[in-house]
Amino acid sequence: MLNETLAAEVLSLARRGGADFAELFVEDAVSTTLRLHQGEVKDAGGGNLFGAGLRLLYGPRVVYAYTNDVTPAGLRDLADQVARARSGAGEVGREGTGGLDFRRVDAPPLYVAREHPLHTAKRDKLALMRRAHGGAAGVGFVATVDVNYLDRVQRVLIANSDGVWAEDERVWSRITVSAIAQDGTLRETGFYGPGAGQGLEFFDTVTPESIGAEAARIANAMLHAGYAPAGKLPVVIGNEFGGVIFHEACGHILETTAVEKNASVFADKLGESIAHESVTAIDDGTLPGAWGMVTVDDEGMPGERTVLIERGVLKAFMVDRVGELKTGYARTGSGRRQNYTFAPASRMRSTFIDNGQETPESLISSVGHGIYARKMGGGSVTPGTGDYNFAVQEAYLIRGGQIAEPLKGASLVGNGAQDLKNIVGVAGDLSLGQGMCGSVSGSIPTDVGQPHILISEITVGGRA
Amino acid sequence: MTEMTDTQLSLEGARAYLLDRARERGVTLEVYGERRTATEVEAFGGEVSEFKLSARQGVALRALVGGAWGHSFTENLSTPALDRALDSAVENAGLVAPEPGAGLHHWPAPPALDLYGEGLSGVTVEQKVQVALDLDRAAREADPRVVSVPYGGYQDADMQGLVGNTEGLDREARQLYALHYTAPLVSEDGQNKMKPDWQFTREFTELDPTRTARAAVEKSLALLGAKPAPSGTFPALIGGECLGELLALFSGIFSGKMVEEGKSPLAGRLGEQVASPLVTLTDDPTLVRGLNSRAFDAEGCPSVPLTLIAGGRLAAFMHNAQTAARAGTVSTGHASRQGLQGTVGVAPSNLRLEAGGTDAAALAAGLTGLHLTGVSGGHAGANPITGDFSLQAEGFWLENGETAHPLDVFTVAGNILDLLAGIEAVGSHLHETMYAVSAPDVRVGALAMGGA
Repeated sequence: MLNETLAAEVLSLARRGGADFAELFVEDAVSTTLRLHQGEVKDAGGGNLFGAGLRLLYGPRVVYAYTNDVTPAGLRDLADQVARARSGAGEVGREGTGGLDFRRVDAPPLYVAREHPLHTAKRDKLALMRRAHGGAAGVGFVATVDVNYLDRVQRVLIANSDGVWAEDERVWSRITVSAIAQDGTLRETGFYGPGAGQGLEFFDTVTPESIGAEAARIANAMLHAGYAPAGKLPVVIGNEFGGVIFHEACGHILETTAVEKNASVFADKLGESIAHESVTAIDDGTLPGAWGMVTVDDEGMPGERTVLIERGVLKAFMVDRVGELKTGYARTGSGRRQNYTFAPASRMRSTFIDNGQETPESLISSVGHGIYARKMGGGSVTPGTGDYNFAVQEAYLIRGGQIAEPLKGASLVGNGAQDLKNIVGVAGDLSLGQGMCGSVSGSIPTDVGQPHILISEITVGGRA
Repeated sequence: MTEMTDTQLSLEGARAYLLDRARERGVTLEVYGERRTATEVEAFGGEVSEFKLSARQGVALRALVGGAWGHSFTENLSTPALDRALDSAVENAGLVAPEPGAGLHHWPAPPALDLYGEGLSGVTVEQKVQVALDLDRAAREADPRVVSVPYGGYQDADMQGLVGNTEGLDREARQLYALHYTAPLVSEDGQNKMKPDWQFTREFTELDPTRTARAAVEKSLALLGAKPAPSGTFPALIGGECLGELLALFSGIFSGKMVEEGKSPLAGRLGEQVASPLVTLTDDPTLVRGLNSRAFDAEGCPSVPLTLIAGGRLAAFMHNAQTAARAGTVSTGHASRQGLQGTVGVAPSNLRLEAGGTDAAALAAGLTGLHLTGVSGGHAGANPITGDFSLQAEGFWLENGETAHPLDVFTVAGNILDLLAGIEAVGSHLHETMYAVSAPDVRVGALAMGGA
């Protein structure tokens, strides 16, 4: 993408204002987006994201600049601007800081795509989407089906003034299906959207038909549901995307991005018990082919497996370079960003609660009156207070230890620090679900995950 | 992918190059371009914690072949990359089903709208940094209960947008804004609360960091001393900022695109009474101070104000040229693009629920129930296809019209159309929101809450 001589020159120019550290991030990303509505191709698009970002650190303070003009002249101009930007005073030395000997980061790819999106015809991608449509269309009360397809191939170069030189190609593929079931004026939606850090071979494992069928199943299950009750209740949360609760309630405040600003209730709790002893939670960048896989992070560091909580005790935070400077904890390969327009920040990868001793059945049968939240929607958290919320896509009443009638319109709200202690039972059926996580460094692919869990008490926001 | 040696064209150069190539090939093409130069300064603990400078540009293409649209985009403005983008748009059009009414237009001239003001060229980097530092300091010093100010800073952007097509349309506009925001974290008796405030302007000199900081601290402190919220259905006073957030979450129900795809609960109800007679909702892209103001939309169609609900009656949907043609009407100038990467959709500009005739005291008079001041979690907890919502909420308990105490985290649930139909009184003062929606406080007869 860029030769070493030019990269060294740009980094050297950028540090003329006295920066302790400079980092160049160059990106050339090609994406395809396709949409079927009612089986017809409605949108076909995609394109080429192309640019470079230059980050300087003065102590822990960040100056970041980016441009699309990724030519030698454009990069030199960027370096000049960023060197002058520190205080706006524009006082920079006339000389660069000398040459650099780059060391290539030795991180063999964790996964190599077999059916590469750039070498697959769009008609073949459409064929997968039609199969997904077929899995949902006409099932029960399903009246409307939308299928979205996305692939993205991101080639990056990260070079920094410590001599790091890392190149990586990231491949992501995803199909999402949204099914709307309708009966008279009643209308409910079901959504399912698995993806992977793989090529199109991913859809051999998770078939497009099964994606459509799951969206249709949820829409049908909820169509004639009554409204969820409101109040504090015990809740069993399903596996896979159910892990969004840990992601929102706890994950975000274990990122040094929150910890370093004292905007985390867990900032001073390392080594302390913050969760029920049945909870072990992990953030893993090394799962081959996972949606949240990180061969090297966006700071050029190989991905790692980070145990966050072990049997209830807080063991580690997710740490990026600035987080390390501000907190003193070692980097964990967690520096991530949406694209070249963002400076990296500590972010989640594949984050999950690990398997426990219970079974889904034993958890449900232990609840007299409560909610079974089988499929979750998305959620969000306010760092600082730790208050979070998320939507339940598919829910049922639990009555006398048995799954009873379906419930719609539920959300769960709470506070991470409190509710983590209320996860009192963990089953052994761990699986991962895929989402896009939005935060300070943009929207990035992350896995959430868990086995079935039991929360002894949480606020349910229904209206019955 | 790309070689580094290729020369990059300017935005105008790229548009001209693409339209020339399209004409040579007999392709009907629309080119949309944007260029944005921006400065962002974040301050934390008395120092600049992050400083960001950016220059980003690119073009989005839409080719019409055999009655079907194909899209593509590129931020690489070298001629080989532009050729690839044109090839890709034409290829994509070949995959897509033909759309009735698809076509390009040569619209009349847009309204004269000065969204640029005095510009930012006379403002130094030091002045911008000072705004962020002043804001951070003012928030920290406003009250001893402020423990930190985790989020705060200054942003500005100078934006150029252009649209051109092979029908001869050629539009270009510039706009600029500067804003600052702060979110102080306050703490007392083990309770942490945080509520942001902000200011948006097109004139740098109007920014007032002290006022914004004090307002944010005051709003955050008001939330301290929260008590558990009850569960049940209660009469409610909904603050204008919160109502604005709710309307922003559900603006899609007025989209002609959602209507034609069967994804709006308002589909087929044009002309019907869909809200309380006290409700009049408009969308105005021509406000000089509006966050989403523009002289023309993403297809180059001139901007004009539009009434969506008049006295509770559904008066119009928002349309772009394509959805309008299929609905047998004309574009309302609401074609939108979310950056370069998507397709052309439909979106509001500046929504406004018109103020009514009830003053603040009369709105709350005698009310025992909820004063709702904020909702969050809307990206998952609000369903624009059904109108249903179940959201994390923030607010106060009212006893006989007086504020009794703030409430611990709770939820509100309902349906946006029921809520609009249930409005009993409309306040006389408009509140602005960060979501480009302004709304007055309103009173509703019943709202479901979930608390302790």
